[in-house]
Amino acid sequence: MYNIFSEIWRISYGDLCFIKRHIPETLISALVGPLLYLLAFAYGMRSGDTEAGVDYVAYAIPGIIAISSMTSGYNATAQKILIQRLFHTSFDELVLCPMHTSSLIFGKTVIGVVRGLLGCIILLGLGMFLTDDLVISIWTIPIFLLSCVTFSLLGVTAGLLAKTGPTLTLFASVVILPMTFLCGTLFSIDALPDIVKQIIWALPLSHSSTAIRSFCLGWDVPWVSIGILLIYLVVFYLMDRYIILKKLY
Amino acid sequence: MVDDIIVAEGLVKRFGKLTAVDHVDVRIRNGEIFGILGPNGAGKTTTVRLLTTMDLPDEGRIFINGLDTSTQFVDARRRIGIIQQQHSLDKDISVRENIIHHALMQGLSLKEGRKRMMELAETMELTDRLDTLVSSLSGGWKKRVSIVCSMIHHPDILFMDEPTTGLDTQSRNLLWKLIRNLNHSGTTIFLTTHYIYEAENLCDRISIIDDGKIIAEGTPKELIEELGNVTLVRTDSDEPQFSYFRTREEAKEAAKDVGGEFSVMIRKTTLEDVFLELTGRTV
Repeated sequence: MYNIFSEIWRISYGDLCFIKRHIPETLISALVGPLLYLLAFAYGMRSGDTEAGVDYVAYAIPGIIAISSMTSGYNATAQKILIQRLFHTSFDELVLCPMHTSSLIFGKTVIGVVRGLLGCIILLGLGMFLTDDLVISIWTIPIFLLSCVTFSLLGVTAGLLAKTGPTLTLFASVVILPMTFLCGTLFSIDALPDIVKQIIWALPLSHSSTAIRSFCLGWDVPWVSIGILLIYLVVFYLMDRYIILKKLY
Repeated sequence: MVDDIIVAEGLVKRFGKLTAVDHVDVRIRNGEIFGILGPNGAGKTTTVRLLTTMDLPDEGRIFINGLDTSTQFVDARRRIGIIQQQHSLDKDISVRENIIHHALMQGLSLKEGRKRMMELAETMELTDRLDTLVSSLSGGWKKRVSIVCSMIHHPDILFMDEPTTGLDTQSRNLLWKLIRNLNHSGTTIFLTTHYIYEAENLCDRISIIDDGKIIAEGTPKELIEELGNVTLVRTDSDEPQFSYFRTREEAKEAAKDVGGEFSVMIRKTTLEDVFLELTGRTV
């Protein structure tokens, strides 16, 4: 019987060995960016309560966790696949192994998901130390996981389609970086003009940020954002599947 | 078990306007060492990528052990192992981790993978290097690791794309010995090479490929016999001219008619002569 979890573990074994060998580097690279955002935005630029009725530090930390889930998930996955495709030529052998395409896709997201989850959990722990407004619920880890998997799947897409390292960097500069600042992570998108607000609302990080913030601050369950994140997850997965089956990489 | 372990019919692969593989037919018999000989850019690697299901053909069909690779590719992939031109190993993890990863990817359990790894590592004299990072190994050692990885699941057929390119003489001789041993233990070998000596000495049968087309196929002996076992070489100040004869006596007779301005040599015909005649150039 097809056991997707067993196949995902088999596919990701090499990447997990890599993480095990490089735990300090993995943690530092996953945390430096988010910690700088925390220092620069939460402490350096703003203070006091927000319109949402919570302290700005408590408002910003879930946004920074969302950023961390996106950058860690996307970068780790996209870079690893690009290196395996172009430099180690080992991606071909992954495709050749007798595993299902879905296992291959989700197996390649594991390195991004592990890095992203580690970053999210450490940031939440740090946030709870800094402010009393943050809470943990049974939804906390699942929503982190949903966000990390979604952006890691986007990383798979980028890693498969990029022809060179600079192409990948360009995609990160044009797509990932603007989302980092604009998608309601560090300030509410209500402050933006209507047309811009609508465009930004459609982006996945806006919903990751909204969902993580809602659960971390004990607000109502953000069903719409969870639904939209799930749609993004399915779309990214289908894109990856199409690229692999049609061998467009 | 089928007689022809690989049957490919009418394979075509195009990259834009370039036809890299042009209506290629291949039949590989069970248990043989089959080689594709051709210069760089002739279509050897593309043919391997099509046969191993790494790339999809634009036209044609491939059967591995009777399995149609267009529909039964997961089962077909269980039957094959591949050693690519470049070492497709994860350089940032150890030899042991790479081998176990390959075992897991091929569906073996951790226990089976470890057992098989130790058997193969011993054969390949890798036991002392299992915990070495792949990035610190030389080309010859990486090749040995690649062989272990590709053989971990007992494939019926092993594809080797230019296996000895970049190796020193010692490593090359060792690899040839290993290829013969693998073949004697029942593994069918499909290799590509641009070394004529390698094709002539290692392969039971070869195909010569040029510009994406198979232009000759047979045992090295058959290909040479078809051209003529004996070569008469006439040389003046320009390019040497070659004539081919079935016997040395025929060549000697022909040599008598050669003018005194030429120097003449009679020798055995080689596969290189066959290649030169067929393609108009050396490999």
